[in-house]
Amino acid sequence: MSSEIDPTPDPDAEYCAYTDYTEGEEINGLPATGEDTEGVERDVWDALYDIEDPEMPISIVDLGLIYGVAVEGDRAAIDMTLTYTGCPAREMLRDEIREAVASVAGIESVDLRLVWSPEWSIEMVTEQGKKDLREFGLSI
Amino acid sequence: MAATADLSAPDELSEREREAVEALLYRLADDEFVIADRYTDWQVHAPTIESDIAIANIAQDELGHARLWYDLLEDFGYTEPDLIWERDPDTFRHSTLCELPFAEGDWADVIVRSYLYDEAEHLRLGALEGSSYPRLRDRIGKVTSEEDYHREHAANWLRRLAGGDEGRERAQDAVDRLFPYALALFEPVNEVEDEIDDLGLRTRTLEDMRAEWIETVFDTLTSIGIDVERPQVEDGCVADEDLPAHVGRDGNHTDHWSTHFDEITNTYRELERHDATRLMEDPDDE
Repeated sequence: MSSEIDPTPDPDAEYCAYTDYTEGEEINGLPATGEDTEGVERDVWDALYDIEDPEMPISIVDLGLIYGVAVEGDRAAIDMTLTYTGCPAREMLRDEIREAVASVAGIESVDLRLVWSPEWSIEMVTEQGKKDLREFGLSI
Repeated sequence: MAATADLSAPDELSEREREAVEALLYRLADDEFVIADRYTDWQVHAPTIESDIAIANIAQDELGHARLWYDLLEDFGYTEPDLIWERDPDTFRHSTLCELPFAEGDWADVIVRSYLYDEAEHLRLGALEGSSYPRLRDRIGKVTSEEDYHREHAANWLRRLAGGDEGRERAQDAVDRLFPYALALFEPVNEVEDEIDDLGLRTRTLEDMRAEWIETVFDTLTSIGIDVERPQVEDGCVADEDLPAHVGRDGNHTDHWSTHFDEITNTYRELERHDATRLMEDPDDE
């Protein structure tokens, strides 16, 4: 085999196949962060903020997993999603959320709904969340 | 096809509607569950560490999708043991493409298989984006976004394999062997298919999707030097001689399936379990 390399690039050469991790669409009202809430609803959001993703040092709220919180009397209804359908931490995370929210003063029951639409994407991560992920070493 | 009104919540469906929804869900869930388990055969055996991780990850995706579809069957009161662990294997509706063991040590087999499967899956999910069953429709976007990577993975590897003589020959052998089984993906479960179309649960018929799939697969394969013959289709049906002896959709499976199902459920039976073990209580069950 010759060791000489032709320095002229082949004009027809193509890049190797690569995967384009396309960013998602912006969805109105998401990420939901509980901004401007007060009272018990604020406390529920604070409890959610304290929960971290099991694999990365980022709050699940900053990660964009929480789509909505509604408090009626002593009941909290929460819509959440997961980044990935095959998420192995699914039950662990849901359990943690239920416990955290149920321990908020004024909340007696938690209705936690797992939804898949709109689908989660990088666009759901808050600015704070992006900062946390960058610090963790992810390019985002 | 006329636009159809949305169906009601799971507990408010008529018997006819529920039967059609269930048939559609079993097919989706069983295909994903069985092919996922097959893919795991390649774990620690794939040709490079990258491909090993990729195929394991694809298997995990497919298991995640199977779970999303089985979840919707649980809406009707079924439990995980009903749907998997204690189910009569003859009632599984997956295509026989998903259950065949891989030709020993043949990476071309898994690549060709996932290529044929994922192209079909792409069309099938597309036909469910406008489904009249909202609980199913809401999950399609998420699943599709993950499936797109599978198609990319299979197509890239297929081109790579076809770039050399040995790889192309192996891919050709795999296509010859698997193509009839892939056609089984579009075979009907039974007459419930008409109900599925009439109720608007999907927006394209099996026949329509199959026609597009054949053209896509034919064009791709021939463009990389792999021969494939279009099957004979008459009155909307693929000729018997172009289909395998067992298609799976109608409950007729190859002998490989009973062996495979025994493997899948071995631990469950050996430990004399009666319910699915969990690391912790499912908050949904409280």
